[in-house]
Amino acid sequence: MVKVGFYQGCCFQGQDAHMFETMKETFRRIDVELELLEETTCCGGNTIDEENRKLSYAINARNIALAEAKGLDMLVSCNTCYMVIAKAKLALDRDEELRREINNLLKEEGLEYKGTSKIYHLLDFFRDVVGYEKIRKAVKRPLKGWKVAAYYGCHVLYPKEVAIDNSDNPSSLQEVLKALGAEVIDDYEHKDSCCGYHSFFTDKSMTLKKLNKILGSVKKVGADIVATPCPLCFKSFDIYQTNMEKPPMVPSSFLPELMAYAFGLDRKSSGLAHHLVKVEKE
Amino acid sequence: METVKLEVFRYDPEKDKAPYFKEYEVPVEGTLLNALLYIKDNLDPTLAFRAFCRSEVCGSCSMKVNGKTKLACKTPMRELYETWKGKPLKIEPLNHMKVIKDLVVDIDKPIEKMKTLIPWLVPDPRVVPTDPMHESIIYPEEMKAYKDQIHCMLCFSCYSACEAVEDNERYRGPFAFSKAYRFQVDRRDIETAKEKRIRYAISGGLWSCVQCQKCLYVCPKGVKPAEDIQNLRGQAVRKGFTDKPGAKKLKHFVDWIYATGQINRLYLPEEVYGNREAREKLTKAYESMGVEVWEVPKPTKGLMKFRDIYLEILSREEKALELDFSHVRKIDKLVSDVFKADICTIVDKVHQKEEKTKGLIGRLKELFGGSDG
Ligand code: SF4
Ligand code: SF4
Ligand code: FES
Repeated sequence: MVKVGFYQGCCFQGQDAHMFETMKETFRRIDVELELLEETTCCGGNTIDEENRKLSYAINARNIALAEAKGLDMLVSCNTCYMVIAKAKLALDRDEELRREINNLLKEEGLEYKGTSKIYHLLDFFRDVVGYEKIRKAVKRPLKGWKVAAYYGCHVLYPKEVAIDNSDNPSSLQEVLKALGAEVIDDYEHKDSCCGYHSFFTDKSMTLKKLNKILGSVKKVGADIVATPCPLCFKSFDIYQTNMEKPPMVPSSFLPELMAYAFGLDRKSSGLAHHLVKVEKE
Repeated sequence: METVKLEVFRYDPEKDKAPYFKEYEVPVEGTLLNALLYIKDNLDPTLAFRAFCRSEVCGSCSMKVNGKTKLACKTPMRELYETWKGKPLKIEPLNHMKVIKDLVVDIDKPIEKMKTLIPWLVPDPRVVPTDPMHESIIYPEEMKAYKDQIHCMLCFSCYSACEAVEDNERYRGPFAFSKAYRFQVDRRDIETAKEKRIRYAISGGLWSCVQCQKCLYVCPKGVKPAEDIQNLRGQAVRKGFTDKPGAKKLKHFVDWIYATGQINRLYLPEEVYGNREAREKLTKAYESMGVEVWEVPKPTKGLMKFRDIYLEILSREEKALELDFSHVRKIDKLVSDVFKADICTIVDKVHQKEEKTKGLIGRLKELFGGSDG
């Protein structure tokens, strides 16, 4: 059993409050114990940086320090949280003055950012810590005949300093999907276009154009579903898609849901039954 | 000698009806620029591409390799060979610009777009001596604010890779915003010019950036346009341009994160677009699927101390928005209505009395139990 500190960000609230239990169970089956880092807060969503960048660094120094206090590495299950936290870590590790200033504030809470915990995203955690073989062995309901379009999302590939895979030609998502028994489609026109999640509340038209391109090209290659390791890309695909004038109604999923389903959880507890764009594939 | 196939985009608008690709076998050594020079010297002198300095200075040799923007003189063939596992490399001209010939594109459009953001110093006579015999001094400390931006060599890699340029014709381009920001933080630049730049930036698509970070990834010079765009957005809001959705989104983040440690995606449509229905519709849709929806995030144990840190930083730093305490109080009330206690009590006790959560976990355990195997 590997134990890792789990950072949940804003993704496991609202209608997704149940998702942490799903994640915990899914990870238990690949011998990983998720310890919820309960006192962590939102990473600032790459938006607090507009207010003040140091605030973003401080929030995330605190988040990381909470994992360090438990002596655990940190697993982040959202591309954007991952990018924001990893960038903060880089800044803190490089800039002693910044570290000192922020640690002075964290002291009040009895916390200290030391730089001892590693930050993982799902994909590098599966590749480097769990191993694909273990995932393959946990599969009880192989996704046989599922044509799954692999969609990474931007913030695990860009910028380079925090990328968890080869940014130009990544493979870690395909490997997980293959281990689940799916037929992977990783060659479609807009696989590298941004999902537009972050512009939905700054310039909505951008989001809708992006979705049109990505989901249109997914449809064209005949995939049953899009799988992404980012809960925000997933929200963009599942929820914002319904804001399109003519939604192509392409089903999507957050990678751990597909894993849960392949590991034997039913459609409800895996989360697959709770999408606005219904997942028909059995 | 190890070789790899290059499929090079060819197009001469004066002669060819349509673009086509031509294949060349080149050695896997040196840089991509070396490979192109190899073609020109040994295989096909008609191939057109731009390159000058061969050392990442002039910014003229940017192009696409299998769809990814690369600076040819900085990109080792070995690296490309390994990334693409020996498969052919498709070499194409940059996106979003007219092709003049083969890999040579017309850069006038991005240059013109950049100029609309006043990417030059408009001297403030109170700071910059008008007498040319007097020096205008910049201290090293001041230069820190724009030390990265000044390295931009106008290679247009970021313009080619940009998701916002792709879908918004007006979008000025990542580099253009970095150029503008560089003067926004220059003490010598006059306030009226700064104000204008912000207005032009907003009409030039400042809020259309999707924050994909591709500009950071492709920039050979370590410029970080996406971060400069965040900085410019902050300046815009600080200068009072608060009517745009993006400014309201920022307000949501600033107030909600302070109040609860989280944003609240259910309330975003309402607070940004005035769309109350969205929350109700979404909640209903999920509840009809049997999903329990939490209207507010659960306040965490360290919340009060978190608030202290948050406030402390904001009190010290230049910021876009002031915390709106009347908004915070409204949020507090939403939270205490759900948890039936005032916010401080919840923060202390929430861990002992998570009835709702227990119900959820219990139900999920049942589900898991029933589905296993
Ligand atoms: S982060 Fe913004 S400016 Fe940079 S490439 Fe993406 S959309 Fe363009
Ligand atoms: S910002 Fe970087 S990528 Fe963009 S034009 Fe300047 S040097 Fe090139
Ligand atoms: S040849 Fe000058 S930058 Fe590449």
